[in-house]
Amino acid sequence: MNEKLRHYIDDLFANAPSTVRAVELKEEMYQNLTDKYNDLITEGKSEESAFNIAIASIGDVDSLISSLTGDKRAESETGKKRSALLTAIAIALYILSPVPVILIQNEMGVMMLFLFVAVATAMLIYNGVTRERYVKADDTMVEDFKEWKHHGRQKNKAAEAIVGSFWLIAVCVYIVVSFMTGAWHITWIIFLIAAAIASLIRGLFMLKQ
Amino acid sequence: MSVASELIRGNTETIILAQLMKGDGYGYMVNKSILSLTGGKFELKEATLYTAFRRLEDAGCIVSYWGDETTGARRRYYSITDLGRESYRLRKKEWETAEAVIDKLLAEGEKGVSK
Repeated sequence: MNEKLRHYIDDLFANAPSTVRAVELKEEMYQNLTDKYNDLITEGKSEESAFNIAIASIGDVDSLISSLTGDKRAESETGKKRSALLTAIAIALYILSPVPVILIQNEMGVMMLFLFVAVATAMLIYNGVTRERYVKADDTMVEDFKEWKHHGRQKNKAAEAIVGSFWLIAVCVYIVVSFMTGAWHITWIIFLIAAAIASLIRGLFMLKQ
Repeated sequence: MSVASELIRGNTETIILAQLMKGDGYGYMVNKSILSLTGGKFELKEATLYTAFRRLEDAGCIVSYWGDETTGARRRYYSITDLGRESYRLRKKEWETAEAVIDKLLAEGEKGVSK
């Protein structure tokens, strides 16, 4: 019967983080429920009803367990924000990179362009490397999907690398075409085409899997 | 739980502090004492009890330690701190004030009946 209690509490804590606090709480709860169960048996209750009474006295542990996970989720939230900010700045740098070339029409401008691109690429790589693994928050289908998606993202590293270098190539094509034709007012369309091709590459990789 | 639980819920922490004023105790012991004091009318849910313990511990009102039972599993004991004693006195005073106010306000209804 004690095994049954143990299993029940294990299930309750299935989604709790494996912190010292959570493990201690689980042990404490198990101990107290066992005491209660033994007392009920001594009072003459059957094993079955003693177990049921003990379980019924637990109440709603969801808020208790979410208070254990609270800190972790908050961290992940700020991590998400940081990741979004890094990506946004990197993309802004890509888009702005031709500006120095237009303003300063010499080698200096080109050097500035490469500097912009280098910084933006470094930011994207840093963001990709430091991003935390997605851990299921609960047992819902949405969470399953998020984990699966994240898993897929890991597998897609090759696709991401190709798309990453593809953007660098797109910037180079844009610069070269613009300088050769001088049609700066229209060449930005290259970026739209590039976005479409990038999506295509991702789609092809997905089909392959 | 036949006693109106909403009325009691707001005082869960004070009730636990009152129990620990008598001496150190562990979760089930505190709950058993509450159950027998109320003649089996009231008992805290495990989840409520642990939530209150965590909150009191975070606030520095109680500290916990693991007992060294020689037989069976170890129990987690709680001990009240000076801050906890002070907090208990404050909360008790608050309750007495509220009780007096509510008594006075609810007594108005009786006047209407006697007329």
